[in-house]
Amino acid sequence: MKIKENFIKLWIYSSGILVISIIFFIIFYIFIKGIEVINLKFLTDIPRGMILGQEGGIYPAIVGSILSTIIACIIGGLFGISTAIYVVFYQKSRIERKITNIIISCVGGVPSIVLGLFGYTIFLIYFRMGKSIIAGAFTIAIMIYPTIEIKTEKIFRDIDKNLINSSYSLGVSKIYTIFKIIIPSRIKEINSTMAIVFGYAIGATAPIMFCMAVINSPVNFNILRPSMSLSYHLYMLLTQGISEKMAYGTAFVLLFIIIVVVKLSQIIIKKRK
Amino acid sequence: MKTEDKLLEKLIKTFAFISFIILFFVIFFIFRESYPFFKESSVVNFIFGRRWKPISYGEVSFGIFPIITATIYIAFISIIISAPISVGCSIFLSCIVGEELKEKIKPYINLLAGIPSVIYGFIGLVILVKGIEKFGLASGESVLAGGILLAIMISPFIISTCEESMSIIKKKYEKNSMALGISKWYMIENIIIPVSIPSIFVSIILALVRALGETMAVMMVIGNAPIFPRLLGKSQTISSLIAIEMGMAEVGSIHYSALFASGFILMILIFFINLAIDFFKNKFLKEVKNYEN
Repeated sequence: MKIKENFIKLWIYSSGILVISIIFFIIFYIFIKGIEVINLKFLTDIPRGMILGQEGGIYPAIVGSILSTIIACIIGGLFGISTAIYVVFYQKSRIERKITNIIISCVGGVPSIVLGLFGYTIFLIYFRMGKSIIAGAFTIAIMIYPTIEIKTEKIFRDIDKNLINSSYSLGVSKIYTIFKIIIPSRIKEINSTMAIVFGYAIGATAPIMFCMAVINSPVNFNILRPSMSLSYHLYMLLTQGISEKMAYGTAFVLLFIIIVVVKLSQIIIKKRK
Repeated sequence: MKTEDKLLEKLIKTFAFISFIILFFVIFFIFRESYPFFKESSVVNFIFGRRWKPISYGEVSFGIFPIITATIYIAFISIIISAPISVGCSIFLSCIVGEELKEKIKPYINLLAGIPSVIYGFIGLVILVKGIEKFGLASGESVLAGGILLAIMISPFIISTCEESMSIIKKKYEKNSMALGISKWYMIENIIIPVSIPSIFVSIILALVRALGETMAVMMVIGNAPIFPRLLGKSQTISSLIAIEMGMAEVGSIHYSALFASGFILMILIFFINLAIDFFKNKFLKEVKNYEN
């Protein structure tokens, strides 16, 4: 009995400590190795060197990544939240609900590379858009849409039913209830969901591999042209053996943006309350 | 109702409707693009064929059996490594550390889930692969490296689901077991673990779905050779196959639709797992309710 208890103790403590140390190891590893590379030139220059990327900076990649992610989040958020509202407040029949559920979880389960394939064929081959930020953003939007929908649907479902019913019984219209009562009361959760999704979208490599990312581009704010992207740049630096040092810097910037966005979203929410 | 309200309502419905159409279209489209391949070669040959040789002077052959096996193999290795550790960690979080410390640790677990897969691949390449090479292997790029890396990537998903339900169970039984004078460890062993088994199970299957579909990180550490997987040998997963070969496949060619077909197979696989989750969730939830009553 005693042995079994000690065994469980050992298991629980060691796995808890292991997971926490892995987290800190990864974060510190990237930060310590990456901070050496970071300077103003790295952040504001285009890639240079004998083999592009060995020297110079990653400014075009930062611009491309942020631009495409913001567009994707706006599109994905608009559609995802609208769908969640529709599913929770308007959909009545059970069968309809079941079908939407299956379709959304099915697309949510599609591997991101297959979505990349879809985006490539639709936007590049059929619509002849060419590799561009907007094509990449559409593909990412399709990727993040199920996540947004599922998470916001859960948020809306957790709302106290009494709140909704008392609003209805006072004769307030449905749409007014949704926009003036339900969304404001849940804005915090929606906001943090969007922050998580932002990180998810900016780190996505597979969907933009064929649709947007190129190895080298000038700084580009035109969404109809291709652009570099942080995640793809990191991938190329590593797999083509261009420069491990620059890869640390790029990974640092990527991780830094994700953490900053999450923190910013928390600060905005705190200020509002 | 005011006209602008009506307009807003219409807008929401339109957005929802467009999204459904797009989603449906995605599924339909992947099928459509892979259809020419299925028409020409039989599904059985495709799934159970042992040679993937899309470009060849002689006869081309499309068999993804080794690749499917590798995909499932790597996912299972990652689950075997990750499940005990993640479950242990969720007990650690829900029962051992206090409420305050737990709230401090949780954001970091979420951060682990938010790290992009390409960064995981990077770390796997510079640490895991090189570490495995130290054991005297010719190449560290192996199924094992992919499995360990995936294990780290899926652990936050298992932890967050398990931890949530364990905290609820703990809250429910804590006072009763304290009143009976039961030790904390006895409570963990005999109440918390048995009662949370359904949610552990569901969270592991959810993690399996993630593991099957993961592209970048795995692709960077497994070496990408379409051969039958061995634990310490190179291999290739379906998603890495698509990512690597799509760039060189001619649009409309048989190679192109074979790649779509393998994506379609992966989608079907994940779809059935999702259905299974749905089924087990309903069944288990009933059991949990019975248990609680």
